[in-house]
Amino acid sequence: MLARTRTFTIEGLQTRRVTVEVDIRPGLPAFAIVGLADASVREARERVQAAILNSGYEFPARRITVNLAPGDVPKVGPGLDLALACGVLAASEQLPRERLETHALFGELALDGGVRPCRGTLAVAQACAEERVATLVLAPERAREAMLIDGLAVAAARELRSATRVLSGGPPDPLPAPEDPEPYAGGAGGRRLPDLGEVRGQHHAVRALVVAAAGGHNCLLSGSPGTGKTMLAQRVPSILPALSRPEAIEVTRIHSIAGEQEGVLAQSRPFRAPHHSITTAGLVGGARRGWVGEVVLAHRGVLFLDELSEFAKPTLEALRQPLEDGRVAIVRAKHSAAYPARFMLVAATNPCPCGYAGDRERCRCSETDMARHRRKLSGPLLDRIDLQAKLENTGSEGLAAEPWTSSERARERVMAARERQARRLRDECASVNAHMDVRLLERHARLDESGQRMLREAQSRGTLSARGQHRTLRVARTIADLNGCERVRMRDVGVALSLRPETGLRGSRAA
Amino acid sequence: MTGETRTPSIPPAGVETVCRRSPGYPPALQEGPGAPRTLHVLGGAERLARLTAGPVVAVVGSERATDYGMEMARSLARGLAVSGVTVVSGFANGIAAGAHAGALEIDGPTVTVMSGGVDVVAPASRRGLYERVIESGCAVSVTPCGIKQRPWSAIARARTVAALAAVTVVVEAEERPWDLRVADFARALGRTVAAIPGRVTSPASRGTNALLAQGAPLVRGAQDTLDLLYGVSPGQHDTPSLSSRLRADLRATLERVGDGADTPGKLTGADEDPGETLLALAELELMGLLGRGDGGRYVPRQGLAGG
Repeated sequence: MLARTRTFTIEGLQTRRVTVEVDIRPGLPAFAIVGLADASVREARERVQAAILNSGYEFPARRITVNLAPGDVPKVGPGLDLALACGVLAASEQLPRERLETHALFGELALDGGVRPCRGTLAVAQACAEERVATLVLAPERAREAMLIDGLAVAAARELRSATRVLSGGPPDPLPAPEDPEPYAGGAGGRRLPDLGEVRGQHHAVRALVVAAAGGHNCLLSGSPGTGKTMLAQRVPSILPALSRPEAIEVTRIHSIAGEQEGVLAQSRPFRAPHHSITTAGLVGGARRGWVGEVVLAHRGVLFLDELSEFAKPTLEALRQPLEDGRVAIVRAKHSAAYPARFMLVAATNPCPCGYAGDRERCRCSETDMARHRRKLSGPLLDRIDLQAKLENTGSEGLAAEPWTSSERARERVMAARERQARRLRDECASVNAHMDVRLLERHARLDESGQRMLREAQSRGTLSARGQHRTLRVARTIADLNGCERVRMRDVGVALSLRPETGLRGSRAA
Repeated sequence: MTGETRTPSIPPAGVETVCRRSPGYPPALQEGPGAPRTLHVLGGAERLARLTAGPVVAVVGSERATDYGMEMARSLARGLAVSGVTVVSGFANGIAAGAHAGALEIDGPTVTVMSGGVDVVAPASRRGLYERVIESGCAVSVTPCGIKQRPWSAIARARTVAALAAVTVVVEAEERPWDLRVADFARALGRTVAAIPGRVTSPASRGTNALLAQGAPLVRGAQDTLDLLYGVSPGQHDTPSLSSRLRADLRATLERVGDGADTPGKLTGADEDPGETLLALAELELMGLLGRGDGGRYVPRQGLAGG
């Protein structure tokens, strides 16, 4: 007897439809799975057999052949268990077959017949809606995640018996009561984000961060150890505009596949802060098939690189493509994939290896150390950073200072500035100032006479390269937007110039 | 014998050796006890003779300089080079490198004194500077070619620097023998030793401030040094300094930076809108009056008076 069930497998961030064909015929008892199944799918044989028997069904003592079609797509993960078990039951005529066409099954089986949640539920639900599957049967823990997708009926099944009941036309299991959304990756939902109002002093750096957030500019925080670089960076998500619903679904989908999101819609922008020992594959992905890196997990959010100069140089170089294109294309011997990676880069660095440059009593770095430190930071990556915020060692005086703003107030300004940008760039391919290309800059960042003169002067003196000029213009445009101004004035250019990163952090020592 | 060993007596191409009795030997170097018997010159003995025939000023100081020291060395050497004065210094990190770089900014020739052989570039990271120096100026050494620097060769270098120059300006030095060695030799030779003042609280300027306290002439920039060279008493020249011609707000900002409010945070404080101050900083930077030092500090690029 032959039976077909439908399920999905995940490859990278893509969902692929899988048809499970189960054929049972007389012969020596055997259970063979063909169709590019990986180890976790092959192990499913034992789980499926035990789950069927422990649910009170009969496991046919005949030759069972399972084909996972299409045969050229690798099938990964335990999510196929439920479809396998139902296929075996249908092929052995313990389950009616008519609903197998319209229902998709997704879940891992426990030996006692229970259904366990699997990674990537949201992606599977999205694929179900696209493939016009009527109902998705899955573990109740993840039912709410799947229900975020419109136009899809979701049936929760606590155990194999519930799934067979649904497939026989019975009611699904009740959904669990909506619990408090769990925090993930830097805080979400119910948990309060760290607030800018907790930052005392460092007014200049806070102002620079607000500019960066308003225009989506990549920025570099520099300052001695203990001045609060990390503290400031952690507060960037709190001043970014909230995720729109499509964005939230996009983010949730990625994190659900990575196994980091536990069944709720992402409410705040991701904040990823990988340690500087990270490998290139860890940062951009591609360690193994379907593995996504930190840049993808930071999509629509913030990627924070603390101690920028400690990162391996090839790893930093790998950031160039995502920073430029907002996506990362990974090509390996057996697979290639392109993932979205549009994030705001916030980097932090010490001014010198020991961190106390300029403080002669404490700085122990030789000139060679300084040169090496600068070399590490200079170059193409720094070229893609629009502004630099310097933190100061203010000591107790700084701690006594009033916070410059709160996250709520800052976010209001950022939102207003972003609205202006969105209105201006409505018909263009960019959505924030940081993504404007030269053509858009020429159209939207017109300078008045004095501003132009200033830029020309900067260029003729060799202080500003052509690329640097564009960066300055972008930042100036954002500053004008923050001030609610349609024209870019000379002061905006001046402020942008003073916020620009030093080329290669070159101090005056270089000769 | 391995290929690495080189007989010191065979100099590489371009190096000339000048004997104490030969006409190309700089006369200033003859004075006093301990004049070297031979001088190895890269860049041409004739050129060395020409460069040392006119006024020569040594710009020296600590190898571990602050941004202030570097800027002062640079602007002083540049100002001297503009006036046709030959700048002499050792080949080293810190003030010496700043002095050479400052003179080279306007393609002024300099003479650098190596502590090893003239063909041994140490510190090697300064090779670029070395090559630019010998393009228009000279590298000289009393140590034979191919010999690496030794502890004693730094002393020989200091004597050579001091003896070549009519005036020695110490830009920034701690109160340590090796920071003040050139000054000691210059005084022993009866030459003028001047110093640029630093903050009293800064350990980096302790040596120069001590020299001033002992009666050394105070130098604020190239003009003061020229006065020392040509004997014009200070205060006679009355050219308005650049800063007095600045717009009022720019001058105020520049003065505040000079006063120690050298970071944007200190300058703007908790202002709701720091646009004006940041604009002034950007303009000053564009004019070349402010530079950025380590840790993002702003550094005035020349003294407010006498520069």
